[in-house]
Formats: sequence, C-alpha cells, structure tokens
Amino acid sequence: MRVSLNSQRTVCFMCAAATMCAMPSLTYSLPPRQSMRQALKGTWADRLLLLALLTCIAAAWYLIQAAVAAGPVVADIYHGDTLLASYPLPQQGKAPIHFHVEGELGLTEVVIDAHGARIVSSPCATQRCVLSGAHQHAGDMIACVPNRVLVALRGSGNRAFDAVVE
Amino acid sequence: MMLQNRTIARPPLSEVEATARWLALLMLAIGLHIFEASLPSLGPWFKLGLANLVTLLALALMGPRAALSLAIGRVVVGSFFIGTLFTPTFVMSMAGALSAAAVMIAAWRWIPGVGLVGVSLLGAVAHMLAQFISVEYLFIRQPALFYALPPLLLLSCISGWINGALAGYIAGRLGHENNSEKN
Repeated sequence: MRVSLNSQRTVCFMCAAATMCAMPSLTYSLPPRQSMRQALKGTWADRLLLLALLTCIAAAWYLIQAAVAAGPVVADIYHGDTLLASYPLPQQGKAPIHFHVEGELGLTEVVIDAHGARIVSSPCATQRCVLSGAHQHAGDMIACVPNRVLVALRGSGNRAFDAVVE
Repeated sequence: MMLQNRTIARPPLSEVEATARWLALLMLAIGLHIFEASLPSLGPWFKLGLANLVTLLALALMGPRAALSLAIGRVVVGSFFIGTLFTPTFVMSMAGALSAAAVMIAAWRWIPGVGLVGVSLLGAVAHMLAQFISVEYLFIRQPALFYALPPLLLLSCISGWINGALAGYIAGRLGHENNSEKN
C-alpha cells in the first residue's frame, strides 16, 4: 500500500499526541545485568514452565496425530465452515486434481497430486498459502485466511491400515 | 507579549524522559513489526517475535500499562505501513499481541521466581494460541485448523526462550546505563 508522506506524518503525529495524553506516569525498575549465556539459562521457574509447556505440547501432538493420522491421507477442502470436497491423495502416475474454491476475494486453485496438496493460485495479498508449497502428511494444513480457504490433510481413519508403512 | 509573561506549567523532567523512552520503544517496535512482515516467510504462521520482544522490554523497564499500550500502538501503526489495517492479518496480529501482553503481564506479576525468559516463553505461546483461536472463531471455523498447532507451539517455545534471553540481556544493559547516567 502506498501512503503519502503527508498522511504518514499525520498518523505519526496523531499517535504520538494520543500517547502523550494517555500515558500514565512511568516508573523504572532495574533488572540485574547479565551475560547472554546467563540470560539463556533462565531461572528455575522458567525451566519448570518450559518443561510443563513441552509436556503439554507433546501430549497434544500425540493425541492429534493419533486422532487424525490413521489410514491413507485424505485432503479436505473447506471454505469458511463448509466442507466443499474430500479427495484421497492420488497415486503416482494418476492425473492431478484441480479444484477451484470461490472465496471472499476470488478464486483459489487447489491442486492435489502425488506430491500432496498445494494451493497454486490465490487472490490474497500475502500469498503465504501459495508459498507454503505442497503438503502430504496427515495433520498438515494450508490456510488462506483472507480468502477463508482451508486445506486440511487427515488420515481416512481406517484402522485396518494402521500397520501399513509407507 | 502576553505569552512571554505567562509561566507554563511543565511536567517533571523524569516524566518527560519516561514518555520519550516509551515513544522510542514504540518506534523500535513498529520498525521491527514492519521488518518482520517483510522478511521471507518462515512458515505461514510463524514469526520471530522481535516486535514482541520490545513489549517485553517495556514491561520490564516501565511496567504493565506501558507494555499493553505499546503492544496496541505498534500493531495499529505497523499495520498502517504494511497495508493490512482492519484485514484478517491485522485481527490476527492484534489478538496475538494483546493476549501475549496480557499473559506476560500476569506472569510477571503473579508467578513467583519467573525471569524474563519464562515470561517471554508464555507470551510467545499465548500469541500463537490467540492467533489460531481468533482465526478459528472468526474466519475459518474448522477444528481441523488446530492440527498444525503443536509443531508451531514448539517453534514458539524456542523463539520465546531466545527472545526472553535477549530481552533480559538488553534490559540489564539499558537499566544500568540509565543508572550510571544519573549518578
């Protein structure tokens, strides 16, 4: 977005003025001076927090994988809260599937082939969904928030396939 | 002529200094916010959290109100420059920045023995969670979105820890520099 210098100045001035009016009186406290190595070690409470968080994350990861990763991979394509289509990832040599989603901003094109699912074109400004490339593992997802498109990969949930190793 | 005779009540110098310091931190945070947005994407949801580091610095040096107002200020002004004001990206940034600031303030105040590293860690995780929850609630409305959350939270833990250490290092230096200037 191009903003003229004048309006930039006005915005900065308004923000500064609003801040000056709203700011409470500030106080200082002095943290101890420490080297980077000391800082990286953290306190006991910090390490306990890290341990607790890592445990929670590992548990959540395990539970999610257990819930979604069973069976061959299926790509679900959503717009907002509606499921538009579900495709199993095609085998090597099969024709790729092109799927167009009419989103808030325009057409998003999803391609599903042997390499996985990817968004090849999107009308959004950031293009992060396109840049994130192809995904093929259950539990991966590609989201285009501005266009409200989500491609989520999950296992088809067939427990008979649990023992199959790719 | 009339103006010359009037005396204007000036705020105490320390107050002006503190406000100037806060504004300097705000400018730094806005700069880092824009810098992060223009970096090549490190993954669709993941940022280094450098702008959040400045919120943490404000919290450590100036207290909760300064930190919260800085978080809001940098997201609003930063979005002006990036061109994402009032878009979903802005909502995600704002939700993340606000909840990170709130969680960091609560942790700093109420968790005994916690250092800046722990506070930053919680802030980073809160930022990521708030982004996901706001997107799930407002835009995409699919629980499938949360499939991608655990690995991203793991990355948040790493970046949060490093940012916390950096903030501790910088806050220590800044604080003592002030002190030696005053003496």
